[in-house]
Amino acid sequence: MILNKESSGSRWRTRPDGLDKVSGKLQYLTDMTVDGMLVGRVLRSHHTHARILSIRTWKALEIPGVHAVLTHEDVPGLNGFGIAHPHQPVFCSDRVRYTGDAIAAIAADNDEIAEYALSLIEVDYELLPLLDDPEEAMKMDAILLHAEGNVLHHTKYRKGEPEVVFKDCCHIAEETYWTPRQMHTYMETEGGLFIPEDNGRLTVYSATQHGLMDRIQLSRILDIPQEDIRVISSPIGGSFGGKDELNVQPYGALLALRTRRPVRLHNSRAESVRAGLKRHPMKITMRTGCDDEGKIIAHQVRIISDTGAYATLGAEVLNFATEHVMGPYRIDHVEVEGFAVYTNNGVSGEFRGFGGNQAIFALEGQIDRLAEQLQIDPWELRRRNLREYGDLGPLGQEIAQTDGAFQVWEALSNSKLMDADDSRLISKDQHMRNNEPWIVTGTGAAIAMHGAGLGYGIPDPAGGRLKLAIDGKIEAIFGYEEFGQGLIATMEQMLMEQYGFGADDIRIIIGDTDVVPDSGSSTASRATSMMWMALKRLHPEFTATLLEAAASLSNIGIEGLRIGPGGIWKLDEEVLVSYSELARGLTEPIVCETKFNYPTTPHPRVGAHFLYTYSAIAVRVEVNLLTGRVRITDQFHVVAAGPVANPQGYLGQIEGGSSMAVGFTLSEDAVMSEGNYLTKNLDTYLVPTIIDMNGKIEVQAIEDLPDHDTYGPRGIGEIGSVHLAPAVASAVFHAVGKRVSRLPIEPESLQETPFIPHKAVKIHAG
Amino acid sequence: MPDKSLASGDVRNNTFTLNCLINGKAISTEVPAARRLLNVLREDIELSGTKRACEMGRCGACMVLMDGHPVNACLTMAYQCTGTEITTIEGLSEVGLHPVQQAFLEEGGFQCGYCTPGMVISVVGLLGENPQPSQAEVEEALSGNICRCTGYGGIMRAVNKAIEREG
Ligand code: FES
Ligand code: FES
Repeated sequence: MILNKESSGSRWRTRPDGLDKVSGKLQYLTDMTVDGMLVGRVLRSHHTHARILSIRTWKALEIPGVHAVLTHEDVPGLNGFGIAHPHQPVFCSDRVRYTGDAIAAIAADNDEIAEYALSLIEVDYELLPLLDDPEEAMKMDAILLHAEGNVLHHTKYRKGEPEVVFKDCCHIAEETYWTPRQMHTYMETEGGLFIPEDNGRLTVYSATQHGLMDRIQLSRILDIPQEDIRVISSPIGGSFGGKDELNVQPYGALLALRTRRPVRLHNSRAESVRAGLKRHPMKITMRTGCDDEGKIIAHQVRIISDTGAYATLGAEVLNFATEHVMGPYRIDHVEVEGFAVYTNNGVSGEFRGFGGNQAIFALEGQIDRLAEQLQIDPWELRRRNLREYGDLGPLGQEIAQTDGAFQVWEALSNSKLMDADDSRLISKDQHMRNNEPWIVTGTGAAIAMHGAGLGYGIPDPAGGRLKLAIDGKIEAIFGYEEFGQGLIATMEQMLMEQYGFGADDIRIIIGDTDVVPDSGSSTASRATSMMWMALKRLHPEFTATLLEAAASLSNIGIEGLRIGPGGIWKLDEEVLVSYSELARGLTEPIVCETKFNYPTTPHPRVGAHFLYTYSAIAVRVEVNLLTGRVRITDQFHVVAAGPVANPQGYLGQIEGGSSMAVGFTLSEDAVMSEGNYLTKNLDTYLVPTIIDMNGKIEVQAIEDLPDHDTYGPRGIGEIGSVHLAPAVASAVFHAVGKRVSRLPIEPESLQETPFIPHKAVKIHAG
Repeated sequence: MPDKSLASGDVRNNTFTLNCLINGKAISTEVPAARRLLNVLREDIELSGTKRACEMGRCGACMVLMDGHPVNACLTMAYQCTGTEITTIEGLSEVGLHPVQQAFLEEGGFQCGYCTPGMVISVVGLLGENPQPSQAEVEEALSGNICRCTGYGGIMRAVNKAIEREG
């Protein structure tokens, strides 16, 4: 099905959170104010790598209007945070490792005072040598950034004997790929409001992808019980993985508790760039060999990932990349080795695609290079190597079987874009005949198999609660967060379609740790699947209980009743008991709850996935040889992710993911020099605008799953963003005959000497 | 309309009294002359529909209409607003949704919604001047509004629908 409003019919629904968004009424957490509120600011390191000798705050404290100045000495509990490894200091005490490192925080009456007071904090440093290159950091004699060494994580995967088999290969492609330090660039920067309540509790209004995880971390830092902290964490103005770790929360919380007054923090964009997470820059070296039929028989990979100063999810991202450098291909002899390495650069962390983007760019580039050597169509070469139904996953693990790989391959082969012309061969001549000989076009394609969920060995709980509330609303209570992806809309649609409720009957409650059960994190393309599975599990019990309650009120047996909009219906006739009547008849609310885990592979390999989404993409590009600029004129995405839960959301996620990938491919790089960001704001960091995205995008959804499949919709939050880069690189090659191995594509590398008509030369010569 | 004559105020503190119309209401507020309109709106009069994102005129999250023309509230100083009529996103929907807002709602021209107020304002400003813009004119008018979520497909569909309805 080509996904759009027309093909979706009545399933294309207005988002329940839409009205407040288009009217500007929606209060994001950074919009909140309360009386008597102070503003918080954080002092960050002046250096990329230094020992701290002393910190003097008394001058700042003396400024009228300053209510607190905090340093490491004021952290009552653990002076550290991090989802996987809580070692990033809330406040540095003895050493700074990057310029985003926090040293002190201030609460003041207003921004101007806070800013001035920050400038009065004196810190004495002793500079330490800078490590801004992961490979330098791996050397034996490099200064240690952390006591346990500069390698945060090392992965190794091996099967067969690649070294031996390379000798039998007819063709070998060898290349090193570089990917950029992409920035999430959520439009709402980090921030929130922190309120010490009269009853001694602390309320935190601040964006996160996992409120309960924030609560655990804050409780450790503040040394107060988790129950004393309430985290309210939606709605969020974008996250894309970037707000999963704590950011301003420790400072807001500490300042609020110290001053006993509400404190608001809201990062400026420059502060957000400096302190916020980025996508891991990776250097991926690959050696891939095939036989004369194009069967890939040996594949060797080395990944170097720049994790920056602290761990966050650097190890997990590397695991993901290690798994995804083999992709949806059957290869008998493989060796992968990866290193996530500490440096004094900005901290890298979780970002949509989670290491898949980098891996897939490199892997798909290899396939194209082999196809060139073999002189066959790169798309055909993919088919010859594609995994088949029944094959194990990339790490040799059992996975939920689908035909996704072939389905997307085939659908793309039949697409207009792949058929349209032979422009996958160099088409410069064609353009020479046009008026604009400096514009050349090409088509390229790529394929991806992308894991969802956190993977084997990482706790991945899920669950939720349905309730008929006393006021007659059906409440769906889940521990997920809405950061724009449309989770609330999808949940509403599932409740209507699976259960039969009307939109007005439903109240969705998320993002408040005081009331939600643990549903796990809203990350890794997992939330839609988990909501779907939870609602499936809750269905028999919840509907039976509602029907029984209605039956006992109406004296009609439950066989004669059904759930419908507005209340319980007498089969085909009319509403018999409205939900509010039903609720009034109850002595206590009807509640059903479920708890389970995200499905995982039984194969004990940490991080290995079980559910995968498959996608293929074809793109057509124009390369301007004078400027070296690439413009993507057409994109065709085929996605095999099971049933479409919410067409508008699905389309939006693929289109939005692809625009992020266009940035990754063509313009986005948070450039650092000696550990300092040179790109500090949106004037030099170039996120695609509507002009950059003015080509045509079509999305085809393949919905069928094997009959016995019980997992329902797979995640689509990431799949639109993972394979555009290699498709563009391939299209660029077919346009200009140059191979791209470094992102974002440097225009200089595609520029050619201006085309000069012979006549003009003659005249000048004469 | 407040008059455009010189504003009064406390010169020593570099403040002045800003007199202007905001969403049809006369406002008279004491502010530092160099305070940005963005801060006046968000902090002083608590209209948080105008968003803060880059504060350097690149993202368009803070767009408002000044005498009908879209301006970046982060680049507009309070003193520049004297005697003008400012319309924010809140002002557009005072009597029901504006057709442009309606189109965004129906077409799903937003996801997190953080760019939406600015985006809507830019479109309203454009259609106010040119009710039947070409595709290229729309792109040009929206090139100062960044949306990180939707990929612009939904936004373009919303704008086209709004144009259709206006015409
Ligand atoms: S905040 Fe004004 S343009 Fe970005
Ligand atoms: S909808 Fe999130 S930035 Fe546009």
